Amino acid sequence: MKGARLAAVLAALVVGGAPVVQQPTLPPGVVRAGEYRVSPPAAPAPVVRGAVYDAGPFPLSTPDLAPGEGRDATVAMCSVCHSVRYITMQPRLPAEAWQATVRKMIDVHGAAIPEGVAQQITGYLLVHYGSSAR
Amino acid sequence: MDRRTALRTLGWGGAGFVLGGLGDVPPALAQALRPAGQAADDLAWNSGGPLVAYPEKLPLIVLTDRPVQLETPRQFFRHGFTDNAAFFVRWHLDLHPNAIDLSAWRLNVEGNVGRALSLSLDDLVNQFTPVSVAAVNQCSGNSRSRFEPRVPGGQWGNGAMGCATWTGVRLRELLEMAGVRPGSVEVQFEGLDRGRGPAGRGSHRYPKSLRLDDPVLDDCLVAYGMNGQQLPMLNGFPVRLVVPGYFATYWMKSLTWIRVLTQPDENFWMKTAYRVPADLRAGRVATVPITRMPVRSFIVSPDGSARIPAGLPATVRGIAFSGNGAITRVELSLDGARSWREVRLGADHGPHAFRTWEATWTPRAAGEVSLAVRAIDAQGEVQPDAPVWNPGGYVWTRIERQVLTVGRSA
Repeated sequence: MKGARLAAVLAALVVGGAPVVQQPTLPPGVVRAGEYRVSPPAAPAPVVRGAVYDAGPFPLSTPDLAPGEGRDATVAMCSVCHSVRYITMQPRLPAEAWQATVRKMIDVHGAAIPEGVAQQITGYLLVHYGSSAR
Repeated sequence: MDRRTALRTLGWGGAGFVLGGLGDVPPALAQALRPAGQAADDLAWNSGGPLVAYPEKLPLIVLTDRPVQLETPRQFFRHGFTDNAAFFVRWHLDLHPNAIDLSAWRLNVEGNVGRALSLSLDDLVNQFTPVSVAAVNQCSGNSRSRFEPRVPGGQWGNGAMGCATWTGVRLRELLEMAGVRPGSVEVQFEGLDRGRGPAGRGSHRYPKSLRLDDPVLDDCLVAYGMNGQQLPMLNGFPVRLVVPGYFATYWMKSLTWIRVLTQPDENFWMKTAYRVPADLRAGRVATVPITRMPVRSFIVSPDGSARIPAGLPATVRGIAFSGNGAITRVELSLDGARSWREVRLGADHGPHAFRTWEATWTPRAAGEVSLAVRAIDAQGEVQPDAPVWNPGGYVWTRIERQVLTVGRSA
């Protein structure tokens, strides 16, 4: 149950598929980066200010993950760096591949996922997106 | 509804965002929905994501929405050059630019150089001689969805590639102006994208490097022009690196830093990612950074979406390219890659560009026909008909097939 409470807290960090995380300092010249919207306007607002080139926000089409135990933790943790379309895009992967993928996010990419939550996420991915799912 | 049916149903006139509420087609379902009689090796040409229109883009196939990865549908390869609005997109880190202020942006050439440079777009356009090259930009993982066993990663169909005329400044000219100092070994490229991972990790920055003694540097451009226009924001506005013949991982988008290094670059994107077995066919364990694109060819039309009447001449069209020199010959098979005949090549736009090809074929009898295409490049390299598996799912080169159903015409 402690895991479930933690997951609920994590899920609260995520609004509409996009995480509320402090942005790193943007390099010089970047006016806006990483701006995504579920339904952006059909055309970006025209910018006539001198040297600013504005493409507008990028449309989100993030799918809902399958309901089940571990979904909230999965959405919260994975969505920090990327949308969960990265999950739904994958073929039905065998257990080793999902385990290695979660480990890679933690060990290589530095995702701050507590051990218990990592197990919850891996278990969820195996059940719903693994090669023996459904 | 499979992708083919979906494309047919939706057409190309729609300007909305997610068109027609088209959902994802899971691979298993796509398999089940294959038209009856379609051979197991007749794989879907494109991946199965929804079609969505992004800024400056026509509706393209979404692999991922954050960061943005978009695949070009098959129809856009009917020509030797790929429209900017249809050109595939692949970002690694989710904080890639929406808006850039060119009064603040500068291209920096720095590191082990005699004189560091800081150049505006205006400087790049007006202080250097513009150079153009027609070149194919192909993702290292193009066609990854064809690997068996399946490999995790971007599940591209064949549409993570495109050919454009790129215009810009020679990289060599910039390096000479800055003055590369003795003891330099590599040159690193970094763009404006950032990720939310911790500093020092691949999830935070995406730099890539080339060895200073790599002859490809002589061909590299810092490009501000793409098919005679500026680069779309999603393709790397204001400038990107063009590395003719090499996979797209080196073609740094929104290129902002060129750094001359005195030590080999050991960041994640060089040391761990984008590496292939040193000898792909022998499956050796030692890996090296991915570099040149082996020869590939594709059938663009007919695409199998309609039966073909027997006796009616049909034009078979496609493209071929190689990172190892010009395409010298393209061959078509009408019997599932058993016998081959040479086809006509289209206009030659240089050794790095798509080479279009076509052949006229009159199907004689009703039934199923398996078309296959293979290309040969200036090095004499011929496409293999065996899959070459590697754990990263890179460098797919296998001969492509298209199964067609011929119907009776009377």
